[in-house]
Amino acid sequence: MTPHPTQLDPHLAARVMERPGGQHLQTCMACGTCASVCLVRRFHPVFNPRRVLHQASLGMREAVLSSPEIWLCSACDACYPRCPQEIHISEVMGALRDLAIEEGYQAPGPFPTVDRVTCSGCAVCARVCPYEAIGPAADEDDPSRQTAHVDHTRCLHCGLCVAACPSGAISLEAVNDQEILTRVTAEGWLERQGLLAGGQEPRCLAFVCQWSIRSDAAWERAQRFGDQVRVVPLPCSGRVDPAMVLWALSRGVDAVLVVGCDDDECHYQRGTYAGRSKIYLLREMMATMGYEQERVHFARQASDDRYGLERHIQEMLATVTTLPTPVAVTIG
Amino acid sequence: MVDAARHPNITILANTEVEHVDGFIGNFSVNLITKPRYVIADRCNGCGACAKVCPIEVPNPFELDIAPRKAIDVPHGQAVPLIYAIDMDHCIHCYQCVTACGKLDAIDFAQQPQETNVEVGTIVVATGFASFDPSVIPEYGYGRYPNVITAMELERLANAAGPTVGRLVRPSDGQPPQSMAIIQCVGSRDKRYNEYCSGFCCMYAIKNAILLKQMHHDMDITIFYIDIRTPSKGYEEFYTRAREAGIRFIQGRPSLVSEDPDTGNLIIEAEDQALGSVVEVETEMVCLSAAAIPQPDAEDLSAKLTLARSPSGFFMEYHPKLRPVDAPTDGIYLAGAAQGPKDIPASVAQGSAAASRAARVLSQDTWEIEPIVAEVDPTLCISAQGKKCGICARACPYGAIVVEQGQPATIFTAKCHGCGGCAAECPHNAIQQKHFTDAQILAQIKTLLQDRPEEKILAFMCNWCSYGGADMAGISHFSYPPTSRGIRVMCCARTDEKFVLEAFRRGAGMVLVSGCHPQDCHYITGQQVGARRFERLRTTLERMGIDPARYRVEWISAAEGEKYARVITEMDAVLANYDPAEIVRQNRQAAAQIARRLKKWNEDPRLVPIFEDLPLAQEVLE
Repeated sequence: MTPHPTQLDPHLAARVMERPGGQHLQTCMACGTCASVCLVRRFHPVFNPRRVLHQASLGMREAVLSSPEIWLCSACDACYPRCPQEIHISEVMGALRDLAIEEGYQAPGPFPTVDRVTCSGCAVCARVCPYEAIGPAADEDDPSRQTAHVDHTRCLHCGLCVAACPSGAISLEAVNDQEILTRVTAEGWLERQGLLAGGQEPRCLAFVCQWSIRSDAAWERAQRFGDQVRVVPLPCSGRVDPAMVLWALSRGVDAVLVVGCDDDECHYQRGTYAGRSKIYLLREMMATMGYEQERVHFARQASDDRYGLERHIQEMLATVTTLPTPVAVTIG
Repeated sequence: MVDAARHPNITILANTEVEHVDGFIGNFSVNLITKPRYVIADRCNGCGACAKVCPIEVPNPFELDIAPRKAIDVPHGQAVPLIYAIDMDHCIHCYQCVTACGKLDAIDFAQQPQETNVEVGTIVVATGFASFDPSVIPEYGYGRYPNVITAMELERLANAAGPTVGRLVRPSDGQPPQSMAIIQCVGSRDKRYNEYCSGFCCMYAIKNAILLKQMHHDMDITIFYIDIRTPSKGYEEFYTRAREAGIRFIQGRPSLVSEDPDTGNLIIEAEDQALGSVVEVETEMVCLSAAAIPQPDAEDLSAKLTLARSPSGFFMEYHPKLRPVDAPTDGIYLAGAAQGPKDIPASVAQGSAAASRAARVLSQDTWEIEPIVAEVDPTLCISAQGKKCGICARACPYGAIVVEQGQPATIFTAKCHGCGGCAAECPHNAIQQKHFTDAQILAQIKTLLQDRPEEKILAFMCNWCSYGGADMAGISHFSYPPTSRGIRVMCCARTDEKFVLEAFRRGAGMVLVSGCHPQDCHYITGQQVGARRFERLRTTLERMGIDPARYRVEWISAAEGEKYARVITEMDAVLANYDPAEIVRQNRQAAAQIARRLKKWNEDPRLVPIFEDLPLAQEVLE
């Protein structure tokens, strides 16, 4: 949209700035550091925090508030520590979202849906959500029951709740259990024999947080292992379900690697922490059950480590090859 | 430098630190400590035979530790004076240098630090700047990736007299690079480190790029920048030349530099704003244009010379526009990057200006100062009665007051700048500032509040900022209500809290106390002395029953005419909403307590004519 002087709202910047977090809007000198560090841009090339800030400070109200861009920021704050003007961009985005909601705009989604019949109202989802976007409330049909409700103004569709729900009542477009398993098994990958299943070379499944793949080049480098390694991107390492890991091991996969971001670089604030905790617990359980816990590993991928992903895979493969007696995991 | 060393009127005291400075303009006494060189200066002829035989090699700080030097060496080839010195931290006392020196017999291991004292009329501070250490910015990888260097290191690597004899090579493998990226604003224009613009990095980055391009035509050079700033004469043309020479300019501050472990090449991620998309550039070397920062010992030196420092840490000038060369302390002048980041032409200009400012003083037998100095009445000073006080000495930003118990406080008139802070702080009215005496100011308060005082706003303004701001409001034709009455003091530190109390006793509707913004104070710390007092006063007034809304403290600069008009308009609106009878009631209620606080003034024979129209404190209390 071309800004025309008559279409510019001279009060927009002031309205953003009077909101908590919005106060630094106009100190932006458009250096582009945020745009170049932003993880969202790899998947949504249209997104550019610098441009959103600039449009807001010019007063392009319609363009900013109606744009899907302000809903794309997941408040991972990769940009905040690098901004030379110390602008807390995710908070500015939050202020813009508040304004957009006030003016009647809606967040585009996708949002998780709750099956209210199976939901037990246990509130595990509320504890895991980094954004306080989901939680139990009185059910619409039966007010005596508590069921999970999703706040569309806050949800950033990370899928942590989907993985956490013990009743399997939450589903989210594109990251449902079934869809992830389809990606694992595609092209008959599980039929090929790994070491556990008496094959010649190890077979490794890698669940990789999509934000920790910094560039297309890194993605291509991870593909060069061919059939040996199946790389499945997830919206967040916190989306990993331990049941899924055990299922893969029981089907003859030699090792499961989960790659998540570094603690302070998580795209969903504490999603990587959730993922890491799950894997550590699973390893403990495997050890008690007498299985080799080395078969499951959580690797941290720092954002400035371009070659990390392929290195993690190589290390995983090397570990698995040295394990003494393959003991097949069975789930009974 | 060689010319300076040969000049009959110039003495160079190298290897020497300022220990203590005393005195005032025209009469400074400077204590110096000359560190031992362990080489007798008069005997050393700079032949370098000692360095040749010295078996110890240590990192050479002049070459930014890229190259070695010997434990006995000169700082660099062009050093003036050219006298060798032993680095005792590394010397192993093999005495081979003594043998090599032979008949000259210049080496003396027994040398001790030498204390000297010089009497000088003026001092010029030209201590330069230091370079920001970019290793604190993790995303640029300096210190982690060998091929990321600073501009200073590039200067040495590309210098014909440098460690590589002018052959630019990569630190990782010693190969000449085919490509180079230069990143601007590293540690400057960055609130996390230094908010200011370093000023000259744009030009030296362009200069380095052009030099490299001239030496290596095929070299691929990219400059990442936020803004290119080329405001001086001929600079923009130079920038255009660089573009024409094929140097690539990308507007966008890189967010990450990462290293390819196999090749040692660096990948720079930035947003190219002209393209509106993220670019990844792979180069063989990265050069960071690190910010110019104050010397690490600037604080130490500012304490020794009573200098003020700007928020950025560089030494502050007396006035940014009108006296950009003078330090706030008379007789001390600033030159070059010690005052703020500067390029060579600006440093030379300021150096010449500082020399001529100093010559102006040195060429005269006497020096006139402003007559507004403070003086002590020894009969009132309680220090003379053997009591402990010294409040005035603590308030003085110039160290002009010396208090010894048993003696009245002494003010060195030549050091006094006339802020009046001591006069306001003295709890015993023992200090008066000439031309701004208590009697003079109280008479102004009395006159300005003679008629319908409850409708008036009495404003105390500092001469340099707020009074200028009020002037600016008038010059700019900003309209504001006609209810304000101004009293000028030199610094807000002179605004005694008792003046404010007296104003309320005289029935004032509102009181405004204003001064400079903290970093703009013309008397180094005068504003802070005032600000502390005005904050205390707020609670005092509240206790006395005067609504704090009727008392306001504002920092207004000489450029802020609009702010002055706004403050007065806002205060007038508060006043207009007040019932005048309520103002009179509050003032009457506080009168007794105020009278008690102003008791010393009531008893002062100099002030009797001013107070004769007021009922005596005793009567009010009854």
